[in-house]
Amino acid sequence: MLDRQRTETVISAGLGEPATPARTLVWDRVVRGFHWLLVAAIAVAAVTGLVAGAPWIDAHVWAGTAAAALVAGRIVWGFFGSTHARFADFVISPSAVFAHLRALVAGRAQRHRGHNPLGAIMILALLATVGLIAVSGVVALGGTEKTGPLAFITTFATGAEARDVHEALAYILLGLIVLHVAGAMFESRRTREDLVRAMIDGRKEIRRGDHLSFMKTARPWLAGGIAAALVAVAMAAIATLSGRSGLGVPVAKLDPLYASECGACHAAYHPSLLPRKSWAVLTANLADHFGEDASLDAASTARIAAYLAANAAETADTLAANRLRRVDPAKPFAITATPFWRRRHGKIADAVFASKAVGSRGNCAACHADAASGRFYPGNIHIPAEAKP
Amino acid sequence: MKPKTISIALGALALAATAAVAASPARRAILDGYAAKAGAPPSVARGKAFFLGTHSGGKPDISSCTSCHTRDPHKAGRTRAGKSIEPMAVSVTPSRFTDAAKVEKWFGRNCKTVLGRACTAAEKADFIAFMAGQ
Repeated sequence: MLDRQRTETVISAGLGEPATPARTLVWDRVVRGFHWLLVAAIAVAAVTGLVAGAPWIDAHVWAGTAAAALVAGRIVWGFFGSTHARFADFVISPSAVFAHLRALVAGRAQRHRGHNPLGAIMILALLATVGLIAVSGVVALGGTEKTGPLAFITTFATGAEARDVHEALAYILLGLIVLHVAGAMFESRRTREDLVRAMIDGRKEIRRGDHLSFMKTARPWLAGGIAAALVAVAMAAIATLSGRSGLGVPVAKLDPLYASECGACHAAYHPSLLPRKSWAVLTANLADHFGEDASLDAASTARIAAYLAANAAETADTLAANRLRRVDPAKPFAITATPFWRRRHGKIADAVFASKAVGSRGNCAACHADAASGRFYPGNIHIPAEAKP
Repeated sequence: MKPKTISIALGALALAATAAVAASPARRAILDGYAAKAGAPPSVARGKAFFLGTHSGGKPDISSCTSCHTRDPHKAGRTRAGKSIEPMAVSVTPSRFTDAAKVEKWFGRNCKTVLGRACTAAEKADFIAFMAGQ
């Protein structure tokens, strides 16, 4: 195949074309800018989502938002951009794709200056996957963390499902990226032209026998106007919807008696962090409270027990309430004994909990700035520097 | 230090202690109540020994008041759960021992935890007398 290509080049050179063919602009600045900015956004999103861990959620959400905005902009440019930016230039029928595939196998496939049919499928798959990852991410964020534009309408169960979809799609995207890079390398060899360089300076050689395109002039002002309108509408919608209170987020203030009595020795744990049954066991056994006597007069005990029962985990739909509801049967009253708590804190060294800045596993607020509200947003986690070993 | 200096210092201390107790009628009443129940005047020295001492009968890893309150009553203590406890010394925390119900609640809880039994009226009186002078 390479031999044939070389022969062709020799022949065309013999026909009087210059030895180094002229290069023409194929990828306009918008396409190139989009491509490399998306690379950066996806890289940040992948590292913050798959490697760096929960405290990086804000960077992850920003990277995802940027990727979604880039894809939206690219879609607009696909209708109003220059020749090879347009979907009309590269979106073709499945039969044409198979024809290209057959020609490729036979070693006589045409060279496309823009996306070839296989590359075009990849571009559509990448755009669609990034778009779906963004959508599932917003649903996951709304349902599990109760933040963002869909928090007011999304249950935890829906958010948790969306989170799984989000993660599966992320791995699919990584697979597509590998294939995309492999395809670019393959096509670079096949056509003896550095396609990565072409995506940097935008230019590709003009060769005889290239697949021809209908030349189109970009309409940057129209595209910019549409993109600006989309951004304005999206920002207004996100701002308005994000302002609504999250579905199933506790809003009641802490009972002052509970806060002062229980908060005297330890953090006044938000009532949504344990199920009713656990609170009942706790309030019934205050004389032996984690090994200490914490008994209270009957009236105060009754009032606190009623408050806890009325605001227990069953009444909230936050991540903490949903997960901590599943207690350790051997220690149904210990938040730190729940399987979820142990899993989430498994990587944290004992020395961090024992440090002066934290003191105990039960001192949630040492690292979770929003512990008192029962929210526990990952972006609010800050392990004190002096507690780190 | 000369014995005279020491006695002056001790005298001043005792005076300060009395002044501190006297500064709050509520605390005076609580202390007097325990002393009357004990049938003996409170002892600052016994109170100090009780505070600093290691007790048995309670929870083994909380065998002293100092487990949470630290050995210096002027300093903030810390519960096992990591919560800060206001200093016990009346000079630092003037509201100490001025609410009878609160005093009873905490003696009730902490004596059971540290000693495994209720404290006697004499022990309570000694403890307050010591802290009032701190």
